[in-house]
Amino acid sequence: MTADKNSGYRKNFSLIITFLILISVFFVLSLFLAYNFSKKFIENEFVSEKVNVLEASITPYNEFFQNKLPEVSYYNGYLDSATTSRFVDTLLLQYPFVSRVVFYDTEVSTIPVRDGLNIGHFTMGPKYVYQFGSLVPMDSVKLFAKNDPSTAMRGDEFNTLGIKLINYIENLDTARAPTADELFSNFSVVRSNKITYLNIPRFEDLKVYKQMMQRKLSTSPVYQQDMLTFYLDPSKIKIINANPKLYQNIRIEPLTYDPLDTSSQFVTTEITLPGPFSDYKLYFISAQSFVDKAIFRYFLPIAIVLMVFYGVLVLVGFLIYRNLNINQKLYKLQYDFVNNLTHEFKTPVSVIKIAGNNIRSAAALTEREQKMYGRILDEEADKLNGLMNKLLAFTQIENKAIQLNQEKVNIVDFIESTIESHQLKHPDFHFTYEVSGFKNFTTDPVLLGSLFDNLAENAYKYSSPDQKYLHVSARHIKGKIVFRFTDKGIGIPAPEINNIFKKFYRVQNQYNQNGSVGLGLAFCKELITLMKGEISVKSKVNKGTEFKIILPYNE
Amino acid sequence: MVFRTFDLLMRTKFNVLLICLLVTLCFACKQQSGRLIPVNDFFKSQERVAFAISPDGKNLSYLKLINKKQELFIESLESGKATQITKLDDHVIGYYSWVSDNELIYYKESQDKNKQSSVYIIDKTGGNERQLNENEKSRLRVLKDQLIDNKYLLVSSNKRDSTVFDVYRLNVRDGKMEMAVKNPGNITDWITDTKGQLRLAISSDGVNEKLLYRENESQPFTAIQTNSFTTTIKPISFSETNPNVIYAISNMNRDKNALVELDCKTGKETKVLFANDTLNVVDAQYSRSKKRMGFVICETWKKEKFYLDDTVKAFYNKLDKLLPGTEYRIFDRDKDENLFIVRTFTDKNPGSYYLYFANKGQIKKLSDFNSSLKEQDLAEMKPISFTSRDGLKINGYLTLPLNKSPKDLPVVVLPHNGPGSRNTWGYNPEVQLLANRGYAVFQINYRGSSGYGKAFMTAGYKQWGGKINNDINDGVKWLISQKIADPKRVAIYGTGLGGYIALNSIFSSPGMYACAASNSGVINLFSYLKSIPPYLKSNLQMYYTIVGNPVTDVEYMRQVSPVFHSEKFNVPVFVAQSTNDPRINSGEVVQFVKELKKRKVNITYLEKGNETSPVGNEQSRQQMYLALEQFLDINLKKK
Repeated sequence: MTADKNSGYRKNFSLIITFLILISVFFVLSLFLAYNFSKKFIENEFVSEKVNVLEASITPYNEFFQNKLPEVSYYNGYLDSATTSRFVDTLLLQYPFVSRVVFYDTEVSTIPVRDGLNIGHFTMGPKYVYQFGSLVPMDSVKLFAKNDPSTAMRGDEFNTLGIKLINYIENLDTARAPTADELFSNFSVVRSNKITYLNIPRFEDLKVYKQMMQRKLSTSPVYQQDMLTFYLDPSKIKIINANPKLYQNIRIEPLTYDPLDTSSQFVTTEITLPGPFSDYKLYFISAQSFVDKAIFRYFLPIAIVLMVFYGVLVLVGFLIYRNLNINQKLYKLQYDFVNNLTHEFKTPVSVIKIAGNNIRSAAALTEREQKMYGRILDEEADKLNGLMNKLLAFTQIENKAIQLNQEKVNIVDFIESTIESHQLKHPDFHFTYEVSGFKNFTTDPVLLGSLFDNLAENAYKYSSPDQKYLHVSARHIKGKIVFRFTDKGIGIPAPEINNIFKKFYRVQNQYNQNGSVGLGLAFCKELITLMKGEISVKSKVNKGTEFKIILPYNE
Repeated sequence: MVFRTFDLLMRTKFNVLLICLLVTLCFACKQQSGRLIPVNDFFKSQERVAFAISPDGKNLSYLKLINKKQELFIESLESGKATQITKLDDHVIGYYSWVSDNELIYYKESQDKNKQSSVYIIDKTGGNERQLNENEKSRLRVLKDQLIDNKYLLVSSNKRDSTVFDVYRLNVRDGKMEMAVKNPGNITDWITDTKGQLRLAISSDGVNEKLLYRENESQPFTAIQTNSFTTTIKPISFSETNPNVIYAISNMNRDKNALVELDCKTGKETKVLFANDTLNVVDAQYSRSKKRMGFVICETWKKEKFYLDDTVKAFYNKLDKLLPGTEYRIFDRDKDENLFIVRTFTDKNPGSYYLYFANKGQIKKLSDFNSSLKEQDLAEMKPISFTSRDGLKINGYLTLPLNKSPKDLPVVVLPHNGPGSRNTWGYNPEVQLLANRGYAVFQINYRGSSGYGKAFMTAGYKQWGGKINNDINDGVKWLISQKIADPKRVAIYGTGLGGYIALNSIFSSPGMYACAASNSGVINLFSYLKSIPPYLKSNLQMYYTIVGNPVTDVEYMRQVSPVFHSEKFNVPVFVAQSTNDPRINSGEVVQFVKELKKRKVNITYLEKGNETSPVGNEQSRQQMYLALEQFLDINLKKK
């Protein structure tokens, strides 16, 4: 590449390599950061996702608490053992964590009760107490009956909620209707593994209750209340592992559960259950390798994205490099062209200058000398003119500034005149032709002439002196005119064959050391494109070249 | 005597209803172009209502809307000069009456939710206004709107015990109340004879009613008749000629009501004045001047008079000629029975008040009930009947929209609000509104409705969500078989227990109705029974018989209460309620609506404003009907 340095054109490979190294470093660095981020993220996720598991697992309980408990109130105190039994049956089916229900069929009245609560003239005591559940034997369904002294009431839950109710009624503001939330919280007691709920009476009834506490009423009203205690079994909560890729195992453990033998190969976290289950927690455990898998699963897409990004960067780098390369070649071509052109112009100019000098310095010119100088000047001027015309025409064609002339051409006359003019110049040129299928066709004769001249010139130029041979065939095939120019020249090496139609391109060999600009074939291609035709080439080195031109046939 | 107790229960409600019908703003709103009548026009009432005439026939009284309040006015018939005699603050007049030629009494009701009512007496000139009841918390009812000895008024009050009403003699001069009869605890109604003597009482222990009688006020009451509450004995009047005989509407030992003469000494029926196997007597008129029963009113699809006295017949025939094609009622008359206040109506006309001069045979219109409606814009209410699946003849009414061929119409089924009532022929704003919007309106007097005899009535007991719904469904099927109803466009809408029926139909007859709407509907029979106030304790047993016993029929009541079945609702539902409504547990309804919303059921929930305020009432009514109209438009008409 010494020539490059000479031309001042720079191509810095170290720059490209630095670029590649830099983006590779960034790539590796970002992969590392991404992995670290994934790890942190999954570790955080392991801790934070437990809320979702808790939420999903506790949904049935919330539904039970918000929808099923109020249903007790719909009965307005009129629940009986049969209905409650049915109610409990559906509950047990729907909510497996409900293990047993104790039903206190309660009466609020003014008559003092033995079992129950007596405040002022307000008394509240169960008439019957039943228990329902899948494991309750038939003979122990009825726990207590008011009129059966053989049964005794053990009613912690009853008393707890009863006292809460009494407190509430004592402080009841009779001027303002209580809100639904206020009522709900005052008519239910949530304790460890059990919920007790009392049906919410109407506001009017509550007011009467308050009066009953304060004074003796003239009437002795009796109000029905239903109190239900739901015994809950936290181990029956169906755990819904909302994130099975993160948590290998989730179980319900007592709040104090904290095993010593949890090795570093396991990751654990925990969350306390709400409401009546608050003595228990959800315990999440996963093997380290399981977590690592999760990290990898999270990391993989990031890595792929990074890789794609890196790949695109490398590709862009390569493309930039390729473009630079092409530009450099183009630059070289133009440089050669200017060189050649200068050379091309130099020769006739120096010949003209010498002839001029000779004429000026000669005392007298003989007639032979005068003719000789005249011919030389004329020839060299023609050469210059031809060169300039060629350059001009090419520029015009390239800029599409030429209008096509459509004239009828007799093909035989046309080829014969071309052969004549070439053989005049080069008597050793063996120029033959054949025409079949048509006589005339319409085209621009000047352009066609240029085409023939260029190809003939090339055939002559790139042939060894004893092989100056060209055969032109013109055929009419399927509405097209096909010309073939076959010579026995030096041929074109296969790697070059794609370049020969490019501007300023010349095959490097001994035949074109001077007098060639590298425009000929590019010019031909432009001409043919203008004439809406095609050109192709077949060649064998040292055997010959065949150019095939297809032009549209117009009568 | 069952409906007397209902009356009592419904009275407060009725008053509210009356007020909301009467107290309306009268915008100078012209009928809109086209046939669509604005919602409010259906409910508008005249600005002058509740006409009455003084016993001497010299003065006319009425309530007139002044500054959105109905004030009491007295108009002299001679001079035509009207004077306003009351000035109300935040109260409304629930009821008023002349007690003498110069004095009137009126009930003032507060508009807050306690609805406390106080009774006032006032001179016709507006002076001398006195409050008659001292205790704000007690309730007071006037038993007989006539002064005894020109100073006593017979009233009943629960001031001693909020659960029982005792009878007092109230001295309107000094406001002193002296107890006339102490209620032993279960007397629900007191009746005076023609001289204002308290000689008849009705006691009730819930299921059984007793007719108690005494020959004079110094004697104790003795029971002369004991009936289960399904039996009606409605005393009309004491006979003037025989002090031991009363005229009563009775269905004792017969299916339909008849007018009988009852000997109170023996408690036996002595004479049947009017009885018919197919006709049900709903009212009877005792003519004080003729001193005998004038006529009975029987109700089939509409009310008809059957005369027992030729002079009475002649009198009414004259009126019939003056008021052709209308149903009318005499609201008030003077002592000489010369001046009469007559109120008319038809199915297409809310009616007018007239003053009838009997001696001249002339009639003078006092005011139209609702002048913004035109008869040609309203639809005819036709009686229909069909046979239920178990062979019972069920009656009802069908109102078809105007200018539409009676084929494949969208239908709104309108079940009435519960036991002891029925749909009647006459102007019904709700029916006319729906018909005007292009729906066929189908009203069914399902079993349990009144007016079709004892057997029909008792057939409906504890059939809520059962045979009652079957009757309605059979009606709809009949309407479909008549090709009038489009089977895909049947909606059901009701108020109160009607709303209950509507909601119940959705889950008990899936596929039958395209949508359902409930206005202040009952969604839980347990809560409905719980809502009966403590002082109506004696009615509980009756309700248990009619609706269901929450102690013994828990499962049945659970099965038929919509609140327990939210998971079975799938069609669009409209629920409107007022949180102040004492008859429903609004929190429960909200919970129910929430559950439907959770299930993504198309539900329109509307919370109405304060029910008891008349202004709020008009707004909330308009809001409610606009919402209902929209709901039906989307879910029924355009379906």
